[in-house]
Parts: sequence; C-alpha cells; structure tokens
Amino acid sequence: MGLLSRSVSIMRYRVRGELPGSFWDSVDEGVKKGAFREIDTPGDEVGMGWVAMEDFTDRDFPGASYLRGNYVALSLRVDTIRVPPRILEIQVRKESAKLLEETGRQRLSSAQHRELKERMKETLKRQVFPSIQVFDLIWDTSKAVAYFGAHAVKARDRVESHFKKCFGLTLVPLIPYIRATELLPDKDQQQVLENLKPCSMAR
Amino acid sequence: MDFLDILSEKAFLGREFLTWLWFKSDQSAGRIEIPGKKVVEVIFLDRMTLDLSDADTPQTVTLQGEYSGLREGLCALREGKKIEEARISVKAADNDFAMILKGTWFSFGSLRTPPVLPASEADEEEPLEGAFLEKVSLIEESMEIVDSLFEYFLKLRTSDRWESEELPAVRRWVESTSG
Repeated sequence: MGLLSRSVSIMRYRVRGELPGSFWDSVDEGVKKGAFREIDTPGDEVGMGWVAMEDFTDRDFPGASYLRGNYVALSLRVDTIRVPPRILEIQVRKESAKLLEETGRQRLSSAQHRELKERMKETLKRQVFPSIQVFDLIWDTSKAVAYFGAHAVKARDRVESHFKKCFGLTLVPLIPYIRATELLPDKDQQQVLENLKPCSMAR
Repeated sequence: MDFLDILSEKAFLGREFLTWLWFKSDQSAGRIEIPGKKVVEVIFLDRMTLDLSDADTPQTVTLQGEYSGLREGLCALREGKKIEEARISVKAADNDFAMILKGTWFSFGSLRTPPVLPASEADEEEPLEGAFLEKVSLIEESMEIVDSLFEYFLKLRTSDRWESEELPAVRRWVESTSG
C-alpha cells in the first residue's frame, strides 16, 4: 500500500547533511544516479532503485516528475528472486550425481557442494519471475523530513543505504528520544532528558 | 551516544508516553487540554500491546476487541508493563485520524486520514499534484497532533512536577481501577 492510500504505515525520518552545490541539481543528480536498474550479480536482489510514485515502470522522471512543490516523491522498487528451495534441492542432487559419475568420486567436498548450489541457484534464477516490491518515500525538503511507507527492517535498511548512496544524506529514524531532543529546545530540559531513567508507573 | 545505544537505552520514553497518554485520555473522557495550546481528543481503540521492557525474556500482552482492554490493560500495568503500541484516534480540529502508534520507533501504522478529494474534483490543472499535496498535508497534520501531545508529556516528564504530581496520579489511577 502506497503512502497515498487511505490507510498507510509510515516511518518518519530526519534528513541530515548538506547537499553540495545547487540543491535541486544535486537532488536531480541523486535521483537519476539511483534510478531503478537491473542487478546482474549473485544474490536474491535482481533490481533496485527509484521509480516514479505513480508508475513503477517509469525510471526516467521526465521533467523532474518527482517534484511536487517542496516535496520529492519517489518510490523505491526492489525486485527479488527466490528460487523455491525444493526445486533447488532437486537440481543440485541431479547435477551432483552427474558430476560424481563423470569424475568417478564417491562424494563432493562441502566447498564443491556449496559452489554447485550457488551455480544452480544462479541458473534457476533465470527461470523464475521476480517479486516486485515498491515502497513510497516522500521527502519534505523544506523541513528536512522524509516519510517512508514501510516499517519492515529490511525495507528500511534498503532505503536508508540507497538514500545515502544517492544523495550523501543520512536518514535518521525519528524515534522518541531523537524527536524529544528536537521538541525540547531548552538546555536544562535537554540535560534532564539525557539523564532520564525509566520510571515505574505501578506502585 | 550512537543510534543503537539510544534505541536500546531510551526506548522507555515512547512506552512511558503511550502509557501516560492512556491515563490522560481515560481521566478526561478523551479530551486532553494542552496548556496554552489546544484541546486534543484522544481515544484508545480496540488494540493494545504492553510489554515488560526490563525483563530478561520478553513478556508481552496483546489486547484486542473494543472495550475489553481497560481491565486487562490496567492489570498488565500493575505488573510493571508499559504500552508498546496502541491503536488510537486523535482529533484536534475538524479532522479525525486513526493509527497504531508504536512506542519504540514512534512509527505510525495503519494511519487513516480523512479521505482526500478525488483527483477529478481537486485542482483541475494539476489533479495528481493537488491530491498528493492534500494527502501529505493530512499526514503531517496527524503527526503534528501526536507531536504536540508528546511535547506536553516531555515538558512534564522533565519537570519536578513529574515526581511530585503526575507520576503519583498515574500510579493512583493504575491502582484505583483494580479488581
């Protein structure tokens, strides 16, 4: 469910850091640099990057289409492939038997078995459709806040590292203590806050 | 302190806030007056999770179902548990919002805002942008309401009044509704 749906789940971030040079040029450069692309390296992830919020197949952003007033509206698209484990097991067994017959050996070493399994996984990946996930991100550039449309740890890790890679800026989750330091500007209160320990709310 | 230290050592702040918020809402029939600011209506709805954060092994209680939570929830509070997440509704002006507010991450789950105008009825020149800006402004309004309640809590929590008045009142509430 996207951020514009009726019911949304949101993680709120503070955007920390400064963009070099012209702000909007750097934003544009970061969006283009991190636009969705296929990944051709081993692993479950076969594609990742920014796409348009209203169309997950649009990775070109004509006319800076991600801009809405002071907001940058993007989606992080993540394509992953998971080879069904039992299918992998069948193929590894078949291939292993073939190898043993060819070499006349009794069994494969654990390193050989691991290498075979990885090779089979990469071969089978080409026969499976990817799962496509899309997570919305709205960056309010005037308040240095970003809203991310997911709570899952993996999705959050991905957006935090991709955002850093593209813009050089850090997404800091606005957890209670961090938000508290912003809401209490008074130095004495900040000091008390820093030393605060949990209290028992029962007698 | 780095982020992970803050996350583990200061997680109690969000739980204490939610627990205090329930107390405040229950004491004032859902109308919380933020001194010098505004009145916010806060209702605890049909779902709440409480846990014992200091325990070696997690001890969690989840309560579901309308009106069933009060008794069991207070019972969990008497055992020292605090609210980790709760479904609440908040309203400060005309707009009503419902959400599952989470204590540790201060994240907003299943946030429901009032509906935005369909794109065709919004700004005719930029229908998508109009609907987008309206939705984002509603999301921000809901967060500002929660922030104003959190700020109210923080000012009390970091003042002498916490130990002398507020915390004893919370404890009396927890005890008085026993049985």
